[in-house]
Amino acid sequence: MVTKEEIMKIAILSKLSVGDDEIDQLTEDMSEIISFADTINNAADVESDFDNINNLSNVLRDDEVVPSLDREKILRNAKDSDEGCFMVKNIMK
Amino acid sequence: MSESKIAKLHQGLADKEFSCKELTEKYIDAIEKDNEALNAYVTVTPETALVAAEKVDKKIAAGEKIGLLEGIPMTLKDNISTDGIRTTCCSKILEDYTPIYDATVWDILKKQNAVLLGKTNMDEFAMGSSCENSYFGGAKNPHNTGHVAGGSSGGVASAVGGNIAAYGLGSDTGGSIRQPASFCGIVGMKPTYGAVSRYGLIAYASSLDQIGPITTSVEDCAMVFDAIAQYDKMDSTSQGRKGAAACNTLKNDIKGMKIGIAKEYFEGIRDDVRKSVEQAIDVYRSLGAEIVEFDLPSLKYALPVYYIIACAEASSNLGRYDGIRYGYKAENYKDVNDMIKKTRSTGFGAEVKKRILLGTYVLSSGYYDAYYKKAQNLRGKIVQEFRNVFSGCDVVLAPTVPMTAFENGHAVSDPVETYQTDICTVPVNICGLPAVSVPCGFDDKGLPIGMQLIGNSFAEAKILNAAWQYENAANQFRAADFGVKL
Amino acid sequence: MKYELVAGFETHVELATNTKIFCSCTTEFGGEPNTHCCPICIGLPGTLPKLNKKVVEYAIRAGLATNCEIAEISKMDRKNYCYPDLPKAYQISQYDKPLCEHGYIQLSNGRRIRILRIHIEEDAGKLVHRRGDTLVDYNRGGVPLVEIVTEPDFRSVDEAKEYVEKLQMIMRYIGVSDCKMQEGSMRCDVNISVRPEGSEKLGTRTEIKNMNSITFIAKAMEYEYNRQVDLIESGEKVIQETLRYDDVTNTTSSMRGKEDANDYRYFRDPDLVTINVPREMVEDIRQQLPELPEDKKNRYIDELELPEADALLLTKYRRIAEYFEKAIEGTKTPKTAANFIIGQIFRSVETESEKEQFDINVSAENLNELIKLLDGGKIRMNLAKSTLDKMLETGKKASELIDESDMGGLDENALDELCRQAVDSNPKAVKDYLAGKEKAVKAMVGFVMKNSRGKADAALAEQKIIGLIKNS
Repeated sequence: MVTKEEIMKIAILSKLSVGDDEIDQLTEDMSEIISFADTINNAADVESDFDNINNLSNVLRDDEVVPSLDREKILRNAKDSDEGCFMVKNIMK
Repeated sequence: MSESKIAKLHQGLADKEFSCKELTEKYIDAIEKDNEALNAYVTVTPETALVAAEKVDKKIAAGEKIGLLEGIPMTLKDNISTDGIRTTCCSKILEDYTPIYDATVWDILKKQNAVLLGKTNMDEFAMGSSCENSYFGGAKNPHNTGHVAGGSSGGVASAVGGNIAAYGLGSDTGGSIRQPASFCGIVGMKPTYGAVSRYGLIAYASSLDQIGPITTSVEDCAMVFDAIAQYDKMDSTSQGRKGAAACNTLKNDIKGMKIGIAKEYFEGIRDDVRKSVEQAIDVYRSLGAEIVEFDLPSLKYALPVYYIIACAEASSNLGRYDGIRYGYKAENYKDVNDMIKKTRSTGFGAEVKKRILLGTYVLSSGYYDAYYKKAQNLRGKIVQEFRNVFSGCDVVLAPTVPMTAFENGHAVSDPVETYQTDICTVPVNICGLPAVSVPCGFDDKGLPIGMQLIGNSFAEAKILNAAWQYENAANQFRAADFGVKL
Repeated sequence: MKYELVAGFETHVELATNTKIFCSCTTEFGGEPNTHCCPICIGLPGTLPKLNKKVVEYAIRAGLATNCEIAEISKMDRKNYCYPDLPKAYQISQYDKPLCEHGYIQLSNGRRIRILRIHIEEDAGKLVHRRGDTLVDYNRGGVPLVEIVTEPDFRSVDEAKEYVEKLQMIMRYIGVSDCKMQEGSMRCDVNISVRPEGSEKLGTRTEIKNMNSITFIAKAMEYEYNRQVDLIESGEKVIQETLRYDDVTNTTSSMRGKEDANDYRYFRDPDLVTINVPREMVEDIRQQLPELPEDKKNRYIDELELPEADALLLTKYRRIAEYFEKAIEGTKTPKTAANFIIGQIFRSVETESEKEQFDINVSAENLNELIKLLDGGKIRMNLAKSTLDKMLETGKKASELIDESDMGGLDENALDELCRQAVDSNPKAVKDYLAGKEKAVKAMVGFVMKNSRGKADAALAEQKIIGLIKNS
């Protein structure tokens, strides 16, 4: 069972707002999914050597500089930028 | 009889039956004509395609040899980054995002002068089984446009099934290549985790995502796989193909090959689907394969395990869409935090938001142990069970989807019921195994049915060999009434 | 009632690698905003991290130099929180399997500050607020850091200051960081609580974030100690919170205002694989570690018989210690070199960074030569000192300067002897000089010049002759 309060709490963590019109349906859906997810707790814990899928280790990179990208490219997809920086405008001014 | 479309087109180009420009234009025209009905493409790139075509024609005119994939018109799912070509993940939040770098797979194909026709539709951020979670509306099934193409790589499947692309690359996190391939009556393979680089694939769930080919024949699938399965230093989990090219052993005899069947895969499967798969098993018997039965007792946990892990990773992977560096940005807000919240709340669709919340929930303090940690533990158990299975057989045969393509608008009802459609596809993602879906029949409405052949890690050559033998003996591919007529 | 201070440190140290922790962009400080960036370090969709080998090596070095155990198996985790300076909305860090654990740093009062853990992680970008707009520069985003976390073992501000200085010294010595606090390559968070003296129970703690000067750390700790004591004395409670220190007003203030408590939802980063640290690798790194400042200091005191104060000054910077050790090779007493360095050479290196660089005009070999001339009686202390000054000015070798001043071939004892002879054999000139005829000394200088076949330094000879007359 997931409560509305829990949904509101995780919404804050997720940086999502949940409208009054959405919260009931969402709580219902989430509760259903979570109780479905709960079925895994019927399984006994096992000795599991699961680490990462192919058990890889020490995939490392040499410390050699590669030239960075042009700033124009870096900023290309930003909605707002100024002085070579990404910008969040203060629109309350 | 099995027939390779890529080989046929390649031969046509090499023999100067048609020029690459002519071929490309044929496909561009077909897109223009049929995309409205199929809604497969969300971005069409005729200029890029023709530039590549011209290069290929010059090479041919100069008498140079061309590669197998050179000049073949194809498409990419819209979560594979393409430098200078918008890549949206079919989300409002990335509607006008244009990558400044190429995904490794596209870099590989571009160097081989692949002709990119455009980017194809998908469920938003690859979350869904119908393609209907796309911001641009769902792609339609070329065998019946009243039905969905499947998801999440619905656009690629629709385009390839409707022959408005010769082949395409999709991504598979819990069945997103195999399920739409099955729905559209074509071939789709999810390679072993690590065989194909994920660099540039916009992440849904990093430990499950894998790029793979969607084609009309097994041979095409092997050709594309052989080309893209390369080690990539940009992806720490990349290993490339192990062993010889899949094409080399594609047509080998499979007499004595051990094909495993687990009853758990057949629970809750629609009768006609089961029947088709059982007929395929008979075909294998007739080809001299040995059928072995075994149990996969933990398979029943695969679906919840998958959703917990996938959503947990997604909640983290999708945190970056904050409107600051790229993508949609809310316009009215109080402060930075408010801007980020508004951007995300308006930019993401309902299913994506739900999965982000679910993922945040299972990772949050107090719930981590009961959900995420437990799911990881069971993941280990399922991996172990498959490992045991492969000590006794070469490939595992199972249905790809418990049913055939849903009617448009039908998929979005009960959330858990919707998730159930992934029941046969998610286990291999959990275990990082390769699996190829091959058409094995049709239902009474004429909608395709698919089966999958699952292999041990890096055993793509083996499952493709088994798939080719079936296709050659009992080809169930039917061209749909769309696209380029060859 | 008397109250005891209890404090612990979390120190972020930027590693001096060439490239960032997960991409190949430069880590160079400064640069125009967003010019040290690539798709990976601005978190473009689809990009993946690849761990820099050097970062692992440097962290192990840091761990060994602070007496830590090095993990055999380690991994990277994601720490999820959303803030505009964090391009992926998670920081790749280490949660439950840090590379190093259970070390310590010994203080001069004999107490050990236990180090709980050292882990590697990526730095965030930088936010600038301008007229209410927020500007973001990701140049620093992805620069590798080690976070060094201590137990709450500090009992005084002095201990804290010594710890930070020592940590800085060690990190510089082993070459993993320049620890420039003013550039932010070393930053400290301090947890502080107070408790009645003699009590074992820990009080409620506050955390002062992100301080980048030892002076401010000391001031902030003093302020916070007094504030907490005042609160308790007046019957109020200390609230567990995160504070910011304002160096202008010398006060701390709450950083709250964010709407929620954090829940970082740590989980293993699926984009990165396991880090195995073979024991041979640890041993290799241990072998390559330089002698640490503490050991060096003790050796200077015990073996070189230097006073503690000298040993401390000479070992604080690795370059100075190396310089000193080269300068004393084959000389009679190390103290001579110590005096030259501390007394004269230090005048030309005033700032911390000048000392750190120790880029001076006199090479260690040249100082060594000067000391050997002195040891061999070729010159005496006064001349040695003035020669060293000239060496510092000109960068020339001691022998060269002494040649120029015509001292070459004529050692100082010989000059002294000639001067004495000049005085003894010219009683009239001596008398004239004493009577006020200053020119009379020239005759005696002439004697020295003639008898030294012009090799003697005339000015020096004159000085010496005058000295002899005055002292007789």
